[in-house]
Amino acid sequence: MMMKHVLGAAAALMLGGASFAYAEALKLEGGKSTDMVLLPKFLGILVFDQANEGAQEAHAELANPGKLEFTGPTPENSVAGQIEIMTTAATQKLGAVMLSNNAGDQIAPAAEAAQAAGTKVVTWDSPVPSGAGESVFVAQVDFGSIGVVMADMAHSILGGKGQMAVLSATPDAANQNAWIEAMKVALAADAKYADIELVDVVYGDDQAEVSYNRALALVDKYPDLGLIMSPTTVGIQASAKAMQDEGLCDKVKVSGLGLPSEMVSYTMNGCAPEFALWDFRDLGYLTYFTAYGLATGQLKGEVGESFTAGRMGDFTIEEDPSRAGSKRILMGPFTVYTKDNVEAAAK
Amino acid sequence: MIKRLQSWEGLLAAVLVVIFAFNALMTPEFLGIGNQINLFQLSIEKIIVALVMTLIIINAEIDLSVGSMMGLSACAFGYLFQNGIAPPVAIAVCLGIGVLGGAVNGWFITRVGLPSLVVTLATLIGFRGLARVMVEDRGIGDFPDWFDALGQKGLLGPIPFALIAFVLLFAVIYVVLERSGFGRKTYVIGSNRDVAEFAGIDTARHKMILFIASGAVSAFAGLLYAARVGAVRGDVALGFELDVITIVLLGGVSIFGGKGTLVGTLLSVLIVLNLRNGMALLNITGHIQTGVIGLLLIASVVVPRIRLTRAKAPKEASA
Repeated sequence: MMMKHVLGAAAALMLGGASFAYAEALKLEGGKSTDMVLLPKFLGILVFDQANEGAQEAHAELANPGKLEFTGPTPENSVAGQIEIMTTAATQKLGAVMLSNNAGDQIAPAAEAAQAAGTKVVTWDSPVPSGAGESVFVAQVDFGSIGVVMADMAHSILGGKGQMAVLSATPDAANQNAWIEAMKVALAADAKYADIELVDVVYGDDQAEVSYNRALALVDKYPDLGLIMSPTTVGIQASAKAMQDEGLCDKVKVSGLGLPSEMVSYTMNGCAPEFALWDFRDLGYLTYFTAYGLATGQLKGEVGESFTAGRMGDFTIEEDPSRAGSKRILMGPFTVYTKDNVEAAAK
Repeated sequence: MIKRLQSWEGLLAAVLVVIFAFNALMTPEFLGIGNQINLFQLSIEKIIVALVMTLIIINAEIDLSVGSMMGLSACAFGYLFQNGIAPPVAIAVCLGIGVLGGAVNGWFITRVGLPSLVVTLATLIGFRGLARVMVEDRGIGDFPDWFDALGQKGLLGPIPFALIAFVLLFAVIYVVLERSGFGRKTYVIGSNRDVAEFAGIDTARHKMILFIASGAVSAFAGLLYAARVGAVRGDVALGFELDVITIVLLGGVSIFGGKGTLVGTLLSVLIVLNLRNGMALLNITGHIQTGVIGLLLIASVVVPRIRLTRAKAPKEASA
């Protein structure tokens, strides 16, 4: 209870501080020592390793003499493991924990305890839903813009006219459902999409084999289908492989959200000419700059504060529109991958 | 003295001393009061359930449904709280669910005569299903401050409620197992159920009591989890049963029943928690932690075998 009062007081101070805007982006001073942990949802996932590469790059660039650890739980122990690592970080009196949260609000008491011990908590990729115990969330993209990005890719691949179907993850995946809904809104909002017909939404459960079979079933069911849009990295890869294996790539294209390293061959051979994602290296890099700034006291974590994140340019802390009372830094925008840039990104 | 050291408990105690000393030398934070309490708090629900699991396994049974029961109890609390039920009433209902769930397990095992492995595997799935139906994919939180404080703050100085509960439960089960007729019957039934039946022991009643206790304590542990993390989700305590059983087996309790002590379980708890905490403080990742605990379990199965064959060998030679 005490904790909540303290946080309340801190929040009031922050609101007061927000009334004057920072005119110029702060250039963070390197060379200050602070130990930090990059904590992914769990280990063994490529995108989290990429985020670590970005963070390591920033760590070297800022010449932090302290340690940057990349540590996480195993997949089956994700929630309890994240809570454990957060608690340990407070014991170790680390400067900051950079968290891709997989524990929902269950992480909040541990994060609040960490803050009380002087350890900043910067979330990335996935925030604390209530915002409790979190200094700021580094958001990869504005999730609302994803609908427009997918509608535009469909428009470009289909040449403005044709049938498409969506192959999603699971029927109750909150992220994917919101993105599909956003795409439907985008398709209805502009007359240029009038000749694009969304014929079906099916689910591959984010499993490669199920997604592969669903993609083939779509082609059988809709003879005039021109595009499969898959807003999940598993679904898009399985769909592209299915079209390639069956020699259907001339007729049915694949698009959606995918990883360059997994999609590069399909983009180069024309099965998946365009797809989008955010760059996890950049996300790790920006998250490190944010956490370093907070841990060394150069950033206060107030709304309106701007700072320069090395090669990525200037960013500003703002209110998070989707979580009242919480703060975010928006990395955005999407990177759309084509023949021209996919090979470089896949390395 | 030498005989003591040769016992399994003696070996565990020696291992514990080594781990404890290693941790204290490697990381200055290890011995801090806060860390010592966190060390228990982070796994407190599992170690509470491990105490009852010791009785179940000594009795030559198994209860795989404990993790799901913890999840069901935590989710039921969240569901009831969200629907405006007063928390004390919700707590009582959840403990009732634990008793009922344990009785369901016990009924199928003792009256229908199915193996506990099968019955509790079924309820592992069933209880988890109910938990997921109740809260779906949402997280439920914002419990009253007193409830959260019970899980997160010290009650006696820095010592939280759950740790006190663990100590009390340990004392009660220790007395029951070591000093009561119920405890002796637990061993006898576990060694040989037929003999126990001939001796006039109501083994069905005995097992029923144990499974109800297991359900109730698991439900209690689920509530402790909800209080500690301040929010519940359908995947609360998912897979905890394996950690619980690992601790008990490492403590020297025989999976075939009839053998083992509560002190062995306690030593095993301390070994696993100290090992995990030490590795966490050294920033060793989850995969390696799991690997080390796995090696420890393999060793705990293999080492007694080696000692057994060694002990036998000279006798056979002399015969």
